[in-house]
Amino acid sequence: MKALDIALKDMLRSFRSFFAVIFMFVIPLLVTGMFYFMFGNIADSGEFSLPKTKVIVANMDKGGPKFNVNTKNIPGGKDADTMGELIVGILESDDMADLIVVAHASSPAAARAAVDNQTQQVAIIIPLDFSKKFADINEDAAIEFYQDPTLTIGPSVIRAILNRFTDGMASVKIAVNVFMDEAQPEEQIYVGEVVQRYLKISLAEEDDLEAELLDVRTPVKEDAAAKSENLLVRIVGPIMGGMMIFYAFYTGTSTGQSILREEEERTMPRLFTTPTSQATILSGKFLSVFMTVSVQVIVLLVVAKYLFGINWGDILPVTISALGIIFSASSFGIFVNSLLKDTRQSGVIFGGVLTVTGMVGMINTFSGNMPNSAQFGDVSLLVPQGWAVLGLTQSMNGQPIASLLTTMSVLLAWGVVFFTVGVWRFNKRYA
Amino acid sequence: MNNIATIEVLDLRRSFGETHAVQGVSFEVKQGEIFSLLGPNGAGKTTTISMLSCLLRPDEGDARVMGHSIRTDQMGVKSVLGVVPQEIALYEDLTARENLIFWGKMYGLRGPALKSRVNEVLEIIGLSDRAHERVGKYSGGMKRRVNIGVALLHKPQVIYMDEPTVGIDPQSRRNILDSVIALKNQGMTVLYTTHYMEESQEISDHIAIMDYGKVIASGTHEELVKLVGGKTRIDLTLNTNAENVISAWQSVEGVERVTKDEETISVLVEDSNIVLPRLFESATKHSARITSVDIREPNLESVFLHLTGRALRD
Repeated sequence: MKALDIALKDMLRSFRSFFAVIFMFVIPLLVTGMFYFMFGNIADSGEFSLPKTKVIVANMDKGGPKFNVNTKNIPGGKDADTMGELIVGILESDDMADLIVVAHASSPAAARAAVDNQTQQVAIIIPLDFSKKFADINEDAAIEFYQDPTLTIGPSVIRAILNRFTDGMASVKIAVNVFMDEAQPEEQIYVGEVVQRYLKISLAEEDDLEAELLDVRTPVKEDAAAKSENLLVRIVGPIMGGMMIFYAFYTGTSTGQSILREEEERTMPRLFTTPTSQATILSGKFLSVFMTVSVQVIVLLVVAKYLFGINWGDILPVTISALGIIFSASSFGIFVNSLLKDTRQSGVIFGGVLTVTGMVGMINTFSGNMPNSAQFGDVSLLVPQGWAVLGLTQSMNGQPIASLLTTMSVLLAWGVVFFTVGVWRFNKRYA
Repeated sequence: MNNIATIEVLDLRRSFGETHAVQGVSFEVKQGEIFSLLGPNGAGKTTTISMLSCLLRPDEGDARVMGHSIRTDQMGVKSVLGVVPQEIALYEDLTARENLIFWGKMYGLRGPALKSRVNEVLEIIGLSDRAHERVGKYSGGMKRRVNIGVALLHKPQVIYMDEPTVGIDPQSRRNILDSVIALKNQGMTVLYTTHYMEESQEISDHIAIMDYGKVIASGTHEELVKLVGGKTRIDLTLNTNAENVISAWQSVEGVERVTKDEETISVLVEDSNIVLPRLFESATKHSARITSVDIREPNLESVFLHLTGRALRD
């Protein structure tokens, strides 16, 4: 009971602090709100589009074993005798017209030169033997992608399109290889049908390029409002999640600082003169950190849901994610403060530790569409904030509970280590 | 007041590295008395009181508070004890009432009993009408009163007050001294530390003078004054370099001791009426002129000077 009294007293003090409230609630919502209104205006205007990327294609492909392709399944529906033509056909399709302007070069050198002199932004060079190599199970077929290094978004879009295409083609190739390995000699004449089926699946049905690209570009006419809202939420949701996690860790550390502050205010020694055990006093202090972070996370989740319409996921996953964030942020705060002598040290430590770990943990939030974002994602997992972001993202994306629990297990392990070390150090300090 | 020992201190010792802060302190405090530990800063008063509050573990020795050992029954000690620390130890962002409610809970008070006791304490410290204001907005004296109020919440039988009048205005100081006497009148035992001789002299039933971690004298005010044999202290200032005069005065008949503290020369004498003219004569011989004279009847300051050769204010 006394531990709860201590915790409630600390919470009262925290929530009375103007700056604490600003940092706990206002700034995360404000930052997210800025993004919300920025992207909201764009989405509402129906004019959210990327500038068209100038692409020059040098299609040198001389062809190879011909696939039996039903061109109606290919976006653009153009005839294609070679793999190179297929790619060019996709790039020149009507669906891509809002994104790219395609020009043709007679040679790879001419294409590269066009990028070098900045008349074009991206050069796609399809080599002579692309189709041939693609058809050969022992060869790797590659397209050269040459871009203006000062640009990021446009080339990223083109790269994404090509990756989707080549991934689809690669799956066709794998299917053919498996079929040829396992089919009886008399059955191998059906390889064309296999190719046809997998092309259909890869290019037209499952990988719905058209739909996916439209999501990126602009809302469609029928339910424009709903689509723009979805787009907005998908942009703002991860930002709000990242902000919430960053400031939850800040709050954990800042609230944990009350232990040091009470030493300096001489109220901690006075507490030790009351008939209250050291274990109760420290439990109360730790409880206050957990409770304060809990209030912050719950308030932010609820307010963001109703203010920005963010869908955090189903109740169970989001609860698990929130508990993970609360436990790790609180333990982190206790741990960091246990390393400090007094609050004078905390300015530097808080600034350094929280900023660095927070930024690393949130790399994914701001680099999701950048080249090499997957590698950044791995870096973010070096800090607990990264795991917290991952868990929340999994909840938001509706991923299976098993994968969320795996993430939360790691986050729990971080928390347990932080909590154990922090408690041990504080107990030693007051022994 | 009776002869039952409420606090028994037995050979307490505590060192911090090479610094021997408390070196074998022993004393007894009787039930219902005000017992002062008097000494200059650094004498070991706060370290002693910290050990008696169970904040510091003694290296050696023990103490019993209402029969509870500070070594083996710390919760027992804390439950009968109210501590007023030297520094203000309050939550400045909470109101006086919120502070008292919180500290009351830490002493185990709950519900209506807590509410009623908080109101009583607010009356005692004279802050009922400003109880809703945050402590951070209070004057130093008001904070001191709340600081004392916290220690009274659970109606302790013993109260420690560690220099509670440091740095406050005369009116608040008067208020605090009156409240200490009132506590005694209610039957509480008060252990009071101070380096103000006048306070100690005014309120204490028993005084222990500490210096360099030891109790160098102990007794009632009258008993302690007798240690200097009724000698009078004369404080003088000169218009010139005092060194020659001081050595001359040391050999004047009737002078027991001469010490110098900045500009003031303190002379301990048998009879000021007889010795003072001799001091004037000696000063004139050395071409010095006495510019001020202050004759002080025997008091605790004289006792400290007599015992240590230093003024208490050092």
